[in-house]
Amino acid sequence: MSTPMFDVSGVTLRFGGVTSLNNVTLHHNRGEILAVIGPNGAGKTSLFNSLTGVYAPQEGTITFDRDGSTPLSVIGKKPHRIASAGVARTFQASRMFPAMTAFENVKIGAESHRGFGVIGAMVKGPQTRRHERETDATTWELLKFVGLEQQANVLSGSLNYGARRRLEIARGLATNPKVLLLDEPAAGTNPAEKIELTELIRRVRDEMGVSILLIEHDMKLVMSLAERLYVLNFGSVIAEGTPDEIRSNQAVIDAYLGSTDTAKGGE
Amino acid sequence: MINYFSSHFATLGHEFWGLLVGGVANGFIYALVAIGYTMVYGVLRLINFAHSEIFMSGGFASFFLMKWLIGSSTPNAFESVIYLLAGVIVGGLAGSAIATVLERVAYRPLRRRNAPKLAYLISAIGASYFLFNFAAKEFGRINLSMASPFVNHTVFTIMGAPVQMSYIIIAVVSVIMLVSLDRLVATTKLGRSIRAVAQDPETASLMGVNIDRTIVMTFVLGGFLGGAAGYLYGLSFGVVYTMGFTPALKAFTAAVLGGIGNLRGAVIGGLLLGIVESFSVAFVNGAYIDVVAFAVLVLVLLFRPTGILGERLGRAA
Amino acid sequence: MMKFLRSAQAKKLGSWLALVVTVTVMTGPPGNPTQPTLGFTSSFSERVSFFGLFPAPRGVLFLALALLVAGAVLAYSRVAKAPVQRARAAVVPKYQALAGKRTFRLSWYAVVLLGAVLLPHLVTDPFWQSAMVSQIAIYILLAIGLNVVVGFAGLLDLGFVAFYAIGAYVTAWVTGALPVAAPFHHHLNPFWAIPIAIVVVMIAGVLLGVPTLRLRGDYLAIVTLGFGEIVTIFMNNLYGITGGSTGSNQIPHFSIHLGSLKYLWGLNPVPYYYLTLGFVVLFLIIFSSLEHSRIGRSWVAIREDEVAAESLGVNPLKYKVMAFAIGAASAGFAGVMTAGQSFFINPATFTLSFSINILVLVIFGGMGSIIGVVIGSVVIQTLSMYLIHTPPAGFQNSDLYIYLGALLIAMMIFRPAGLWPSKRRRREFTDAGVEGTASIAGGQ
Repeated sequence: MSTPMFDVSGVTLRFGGVTSLNNVTLHHNRGEILAVIGPNGAGKTSLFNSLTGVYAPQEGTITFDRDGSTPLSVIGKKPHRIASAGVARTFQASRMFPAMTAFENVKIGAESHRGFGVIGAMVKGPQTRRHERETDATTWELLKFVGLEQQANVLSGSLNYGARRRLEIARGLATNPKVLLLDEPAAGTNPAEKIELTELIRRVRDEMGVSILLIEHDMKLVMSLAERLYVLNFGSVIAEGTPDEIRSNQAVIDAYLGSTDTAKGGE
Repeated sequence: MINYFSSHFATLGHEFWGLLVGGVANGFIYALVAIGYTMVYGVLRLINFAHSEIFMSGGFASFFLMKWLIGSSTPNAFESVIYLLAGVIVGGLAGSAIATVLERVAYRPLRRRNAPKLAYLISAIGASYFLFNFAAKEFGRINLSMASPFVNHTVFTIMGAPVQMSYIIIAVVSVIMLVSLDRLVATTKLGRSIRAVAQDPETASLMGVNIDRTIVMTFVLGGFLGGAAGYLYGLSFGVVYTMGFTPALKAFTAAVLGGIGNLRGAVIGGLLLGIVESFSVAFVNGAYIDVVAFAVLVLVLLFRPTGILGERLGRAA
Repeated sequence: MMKFLRSAQAKKLGSWLALVVTVTVMTGPPGNPTQPTLGFTSSFSERVSFFGLFPAPRGVLFLALALLVAGAVLAYSRVAKAPVQRARAAVVPKYQALAGKRTFRLSWYAVVLLGAVLLPHLVTDPFWQSAMVSQIAIYILLAIGLNVVVGFAGLLDLGFVAFYAIGAYVTAWVTGALPVAAPFHHHLNPFWAIPIAIVVVMIAGVLLGVPTLRLRGDYLAIVTLGFGEIVTIFMNNLYGITGGSTGSNQIPHFSIHLGSLKYLWGLNPVPYYYLTLGFVVLFLIIFSSLEHSRIGRSWVAIREDEVAAESLGVNPLKYKVMAFAIGAASAGFAGVMTAGQSFFINPATFTLSFSINILVLVIFGGMGSIIGVVIGSVVIQTLSMYLIHTPPAGFQNSDLYIYLGALLIAMMIFRPAGLWPSKRRRREFTDAGVEGTASIAGGQ
């Protein structure tokens, strides 16, 4: 409860001559729904990628502490290692396994955080069978949780945007994470889907106890969902606070001035 | 251990200039072939596995030309130059021709269908196999020595190392072709199209570049240099259906060493590989020379996969 | 006229003609370097029998065949295509429903197995009996092994033959048939070579794989190809260890001495056939189990989207190395089988062409589909052996590779998922759902 889940301190990420993240300090508390917003190119996805090990910032530290007693230094670790530690994520353009059904997509997530068992894979013993039954059950529960049980046998490549987002969330949850990073979950969805998504995200935190960290452009959604926000611009944190505080923050308004997103909502 | 190394270094010292000269000559050939790999990779992000057969076809085409033109006679100085030129051009054209057919038959249908990368690779392997064994069937399996338009004598010596006529010819012809290509890519409209497609095919096509034609021309250019290299190689080593295999593998290593997609890198990589390989003769048994090239490839891929100059066709350097 | 020459139809006609000319020369008599055009011209002018009626130049025969085939294709597309598709649409779903049932599949497997067991009694020609073992059964073993690497994990390994060679040489080594002494100077029964060869080969696979499996597909292919070549160079040159280019010719045959159970595999190929068949069945069971396990699914995930797989905690390198090692193990195993059967082994057997041959079997049958690979191997190897046994005029054994190369290209263009693809692979090769049910049932 005391230490944050994600503790980002003084992180700077450079690509050649471009500084993508500039001395970013941020913390994400356990059980919180935290949002990171900012104009395009502000460094939000770079931040995500740094948190999940895809990029390795040149300066600063990132610590992930799953339950308050197992701090893990993120920088320099491979993405799969961080994912196994309890960090799940979705991608800006939903990355499905297109030739697999929805069920199979989620099942991969459920299986991958278990132990190994090459021999078990080759000779299907009773223990292997039991594991499979368990992962199948978990998969069904998650599909029901996100409302996709009707489409379990549909190829994920043919699902619509909203369904794909929900499937990605289910798949991420299947790895039994402590935090779920959502990269623009509402992009490309219609207003009805957005409402469903907001509900779903809240339920993920409330019913599954998974903290949420999201990037979004849709102000209405962010303001209604997030409990706390960070605002990035040109790779630096320019503001931090509750939705009300951010709404009236002059620096934030200035940053957004001229873009089609306004602090008052809508897109 | 120290004795081993010191005796081999001593050999290297004695033979230094000879090995250097020979290495540079080989290096030019590697450079010419490497250009083909690097150009095709630049525009298609694909390793043209069958480039070895482009090299081979240049060798065979020019072999038959030399046979017809020269037979067993000895040409005079003027004829020498003409025949040499003819060999280079015919070898190059044969290379371009095979490259074009290759693109048409083995790659374009896959591009139309957005096939996964693996499919291109497999098709390339199939094409390589087809051409290579086809040549074996039609032309036999014996190494054939090429009628040479010149007499290979030692022209001069550098520090006691003989510089053969063949080395000079390889160097001169290669330099002319490489410089011409470099200028073509840097200054002409075609060159700009190639660089544009290499950087961003979608935007290039939006800007009015004919992608298909550009790709074909890339194959043609790379094929020309590869085929001409086959002629130059054949003059020294003869032609046989397997001639493409090892040089092409080494040329690929050279392309990676210099930075795949980077034209000047291919040249540098080729020369560097030729020299390193040549020097290693002082250290390892002749049969294991090929292992040296392979070791270079693995080391580069492990530690600096972008090569010496980095991956970039879009930039002229 | 000019308009016709530029039209799509003219282009199609031109391609067709080019193809016919290529096939004519491809199947024609060989050429030679002193008369370079001989191969080409005699491919057209050499007299052969025109459908058994009268002697005519080959060119004429091929032209007639070409017209017939073109006519048949046109007739099909205009007349027969619709009814055939209707028939397919009626039959295929029923087949797929049946194929889904376990008992149906198992009964088919039982029938095939019975046929395989009875085969040596039905085919008694010595050439074919020997071919069944060394050219078909062993190749099936190798192909299903390569299928794990290429088909399941999507890694193009062109140096596969190296693991096969290592397996064979290890067998020679432990049975004391190499210049270098067997371990502990104790000559072992070749059966003991199996676990030893598998361990050695897997270590080699891991050593090769860990540094190279991070590389992109094309680079991996070249590096594995290089590795295969390097192993060949070493085999040819380390006279003191491997016997150099003459190899080893004293490998004892398989034998069992277990108390009262004594059996010596001798010169008759049939007992080897049953031994190899038994192991083939074993490997089929193991690999099939692997395919439908979480490891198999992880391979699919890595193949379809490695980044997404990583975000779920799947370590791509670990799984790729595992596939590599498993494929290597089966190749090493096949090497032991081969060494225990023939008296001798030498580096000339273990060429790049061999790796490509196995690759063709996998691609043709359907990469990732165990059933497809088995069927593909049987088809191609049987055809190859037939061509070698009763070669048509002008056929040289190595012409086979011309055909295999052309087959690879054709497969990639027309049917990349293979002859009998797994459902998933067919989906992956066509944009999901675009091709629909037009292709023939894929069994799974």
